[in-house]
Amino acid sequence: MLTVSHLSVKYGDTPVVNQLDLALGSDEILMLVGPTGCGKTTILHALAGLIPISDGTISMGKWRATPRDTIAPEKRNVGMVFQDFALFPHLSVEQNVCFKLKDTTLADHWLKLLGLESFRQAKPERLSGGQKQRVALARTLAHEPDIVLLDEPLSNLDAALKDSLRWEIREALKAAKVPAIWVTHDQDEALSIGDRVGVLNKGVLAQLDTPENCFSKPASRFVANFLGDASFVPGSLNNRVVTTCIGNAPGIPIDVTEGEVDLLLRPDDITVRHDNDTGNGTVVWVRFEGGSRLCAVALDNYEQTHVKVRVSHENTFKPGDRVKLTVDSTHALAAFSR
Amino acid sequence: MRAVPKSYPIAFLIAFLAVLPLSVLFTLASDTSGLFDTHNLRVLGNTMALVGLTIVGAVVLGVPLALLTTYVKMPLQRFWLVLLAAPLAMPSYIGAFTMYFALGPGGEIENLLGIPTPSIGGLWGTAIVMSLYTYPFVMLTTRASLLSLDGSLVSAARTLGMSLPASLAHVVLPRIMRSVGAGALLAALYALSDFGTPAILRLDTFTRVIFVEYNAFGLSQAAMLSIQLLVIVALVLFVESTIKGGTERPGKQLWLWPKPWQRYVMLLCSLPVVLMAIVLPLSIFLVWLIREGAGDFDVSYAINSAYASLLAAIAAVVLAIPVAHAAISGRAGRLMERITYFGFGVPGIVMGTALVYVGLKLPFLYQTLGLLVIAYVLRFLPLAVGSVRTTAERLDPSLVKAARLLGASPGEAFRRITLPLTYRGMVAGAALVFLEVMRELPATLMLGPTGFETLATYMWRVYEAGYFGMAAIPGLLLVFLSGIGLMIMLTGEGGNRLKLNEE
Amino acid sequence: MQRRTFLQSFAAAGALAALPLGMSKSLAAQQDAVSVKDLPALKGDLTLYLGRGEGGLYEKVLDAIRQRNPGLNLQIRRGATAALANTIVAEAQAGVRRADLFWAVDTGSIGMITDAGLAKPLPDDLTAQLQPGFQYPLWSPVTGRVRTLPYNTDRLTADKIPDNIMALADSNLDIGWAPAYASFQSFLTAMRILEGEKATLDWLKGVNKHAKNYAGELGVVMAVERGEVDVGLANHYYTLRLKAGKPDASVDLAFTNADAGCLVNASGILSLTTDELTFNFMRYLLSAEVQAYLSSEAYEIPLVRGIKSPTGLPDLSSLNPPDLDLRKLADLRPTLNLMRKAGVL
Repeated sequence: MLTVSHLSVKYGDTPVVNQLDLALGSDEILMLVGPTGCGKTTILHALAGLIPISDGTISMGKWRATPRDTIAPEKRNVGMVFQDFALFPHLSVEQNVCFKLKDTTLADHWLKLLGLESFRQAKPERLSGGQKQRVALARTLAHEPDIVLLDEPLSNLDAALKDSLRWEIREALKAAKVPAIWVTHDQDEALSIGDRVGVLNKGVLAQLDTPENCFSKPASRFVANFLGDASFVPGSLNNRVVTTCIGNAPGIPIDVTEGEVDLLLRPDDITVRHDNDTGNGTVVWVRFEGGSRLCAVALDNYEQTHVKVRVSHENTFKPGDRVKLTVDSTHALAAFSR
Repeated sequence: MRAVPKSYPIAFLIAFLAVLPLSVLFTLASDTSGLFDTHNLRVLGNTMALVGLTIVGAVVLGVPLALLTTYVKMPLQRFWLVLLAAPLAMPSYIGAFTMYFALGPGGEIENLLGIPTPSIGGLWGTAIVMSLYTYPFVMLTTRASLLSLDGSLVSAARTLGMSLPASLAHVVLPRIMRSVGAGALLAALYALSDFGTPAILRLDTFTRVIFVEYNAFGLSQAAMLSIQLLVIVALVLFVESTIKGGTERPGKQLWLWPKPWQRYVMLLCSLPVVLMAIVLPLSIFLVWLIREGAGDFDVSYAINSAYASLLAAIAAVVLAIPVAHAAISGRAGRLMERITYFGFGVPGIVMGTALVYVGLKLPFLYQTLGLLVIAYVLRFLPLAVGSVRTTAERLDPSLVKAARLLGASPGEAFRRITLPLTYRGMVAGAALVFLEVMRELPATLMLGPTGFETLATYMWRVYEAGYFGMAAIPGLLLVFLSGIGLMIMLTGEGGNRLKLNEE
Repeated sequence: MQRRTFLQSFAAAGALAALPLGMSKSLAAQQDAVSVKDLPALKGDLTLYLGRGEGGLYEKVLDAIRQRNPGLNLQIRRGATAALANTIVAEAQAGVRRADLFWAVDTGSIGMITDAGLAKPLPDDLTAQLQPGFQYPLWSPVTGRVRTLPYNTDRLTADKIPDNIMALADSNLDIGWAPAYASFQSFLTAMRILEGEKATLDWLKGVNKHAKNYAGELGVVMAVERGEVDVGLANHYYTLRLKAGKPDASVDLAFTNADAGCLVNASGILSLTTDELTFNFMRYLLSAEVQAYLSSEAYEIPLVRGIKSPTGLPDLSSLNPPDLDLRKLADLRPTLNLMRKAGVL
């Protein structure tokens, strides 16, 4: 059970992490997501005791670390999976996984489970990226940590592998019944894997909630923009209903109570059809995504506002087409002050 | 079959030139019959013991200090690095004779402070002094390797439950063995070829016996002994080449953040080294300077020293480039590189004599600055090669390929890609050669233009006559100029400071 | 006497008149040494291989000669004596001659060059200036040094020191020596020639039992002064120089009688050309002023007739050195073999 309160980390005089509060359930996976340089890796390193903290406390089970009472990394029983795998190049896969183990039962278990049986004697340099990451995971889990920290574990792998491996890792973590903090800059990864998602911005936790809530009830425009495609359409909020030029929808006021707002629209909250006569916008660009197309539409009333909308791949739109957009949402949408 | 690498012919030529003077030794030694008696066996024992202890001492001092200066976050990081590398700027013979006069009953320390100290001498004393002045070789090569290691491996080991010392021992040490070995090799060769230190501290080593023979007009015997010494050098080179170490991609640098008191303890522990190797000799110099005055020192000696050292440094680096590239290209190239190391293991007086004979074959070069610079280059080439090779190894080969695909000729690719990216290594190598040339004595005496006086030759002159006060100013100047070289070298050792502010 | 005063006075045209009191006295006593005033000006190029350093002192002499002779282009190559001797031989083999003069710290190197047939005979007037026993056809001694027994005055009195060097082996004194040092090896060669191989070997073994090794004889004298040992084996000038810098130093000199222990050895100069310029240069080194200066400042023993020995050293005539051709001291190899056999090298 990890509890972090008021955690701050500084590099020299530059604050990197500011007053972070965090608590983690017994087998929960928390995704920490944010743009490059937001301090997410720093948080992991601070939790693992690899860098000193300047304020706050980190406590877990038997230990409690403060800026004064530092606890050495090796005393924390924290497992870490590194971005660049950090496999010991001079040791074989088996030696890596059994690094500090006296009883190798668990090592065998994880090697088998992660499909590494046939590589036991290989040196890391001969493995593919995906295999390396499996070895790193097996090594971490075999040492039975109280918590696993994953530092962008998939960022060095190719896209095709990412999708399957992220589920494999999640399954493994769940099977090990160990809580985890998983740092990523990939929003899909964050939303799909995590039990909870924490969005970081400049060292401050902007939101910490379930993936669903983070996506549909973002705490700020930053969060809304960072998780998925977001469009903001001006409207007015009255009696929890937002009225806009492209239709009405139930609204959830985020930082306002009533009046002029920007309504957060996800591409799936809108329908679009060709309409040369009563159209309310013009297609600016179209991206083919395989099963669907993503279109950006400039509204006639607000030319600066590009609304992104997803359509089936069967519908063909070209830049310049006149279209009619309609808000089409049964669930409530987030409304921000204009 | 693959084509022969382009660097091979030039590297081969340089390696050939490097051993050419040594071949003169065989001619000189041909006058003498076998000369290996029980006495030599004792000397051999002393020599091997000194080399062994020097290696141990240099590694014991150099590796922890490399870890300290590379991994530990510290205020005034650069300052400590320069200070701890500073013994490189001090000729070991200066250290030896100042320590000899400072320590022991009736030594300067007892005279001035009234603190009795044990006197220094014999095998242990020589090994201590040798280690104090050769550990920077190990420290710097180890540092270079530590800087390029992926630091997250140590973090990984620690999060897996291994203590920091154990992590360093199990995860870092096996991967830096090559670099430690390379530094230890330089320390060993230095110990093998240095005459001054064992002579002053009364230890019979090969160099000392060679010197005695040489002075007893036994040139051929001295040459024969030098050939025997070369066998030891070859042995040391061979042992070093068997040390395994992986090549791996550089990764994030590791930083350790000790508590303030731990930092102070670490610095305090490294302080005796600096005190012994730097503060003590400089203080003794100052005492002599105050007591006896400056004498008739001429600034031109310092200019001569710096000028010749600079020329040699530049020439050594230019020649080191093809050798270093050959060493990376393949086994044959590696062998050529090893061959250039012989010059570093031969006592200066023997190398000097051999070069007199070579120089006399080229009368237009004889007793010119040109020949002197050649001699310097032949002696100290390995120092430049080592530095250049280390940075060249780290260069991603795909960069050169990319340049070629963008239409650059091999020459242009070298000039615009390889050169700027390995430039720092070249500067570091040049500075290292500069430091060694500054303190070189025997070859300077024998091969320089007539009347060419350097700081080292002037100091030798006054020291030999027992006028220590006069050695103070040139001594301080030598250390000062070498210190500048040292600073240049340390700024050239790698662009790692950029990484400091990154996540 | 101040070094600078010497330089100025020497360089001045009327050197004699300007000389300070001390030197005037020493000059008044001399009869056979020639004053620089009477020597011809030196003109032309001259290359000197100088086989010793001697700090600023030899330099002062050379500077003074340069100043007095603006037409002289004197080039000096310094180095270890043996290294320069080897160089001269190598140059001769290659048919290249760079040195005109060779000024060597020990007679062994002189012997090596004369044996190689490279030294040119000296004019008679030059050799005639030297004291009897120091006149040689192919080379000229410049200054001498005598083997001495420096002893610690706190631990010993002079009468406790045997006046026979061979008796030192059987004494119970702690002895400091520098077996690797060239002067010591010359001394031992003299002993070998005078006393025979067997006696020398026994002496080495005997002394070695209560001897401490040092790198050089300056080290020996300093060790004696510190009281590390009772008595040392060293050339005389190290002690005199030490006492000059530290008048209350607890060290003094003792001498043996008519054996290798009080051998008078010399630094020597020889010419590699028959050019008159080189001979004239040698005449300058043997001049009254230079000899007196080397005596008073470097504590070397002047070997030209009529110049006083350095302060603190008995006059050469009161010493009783053994009778020996110094060039024989070049025969070092048997000596080194003895030293090895005795285990001291």
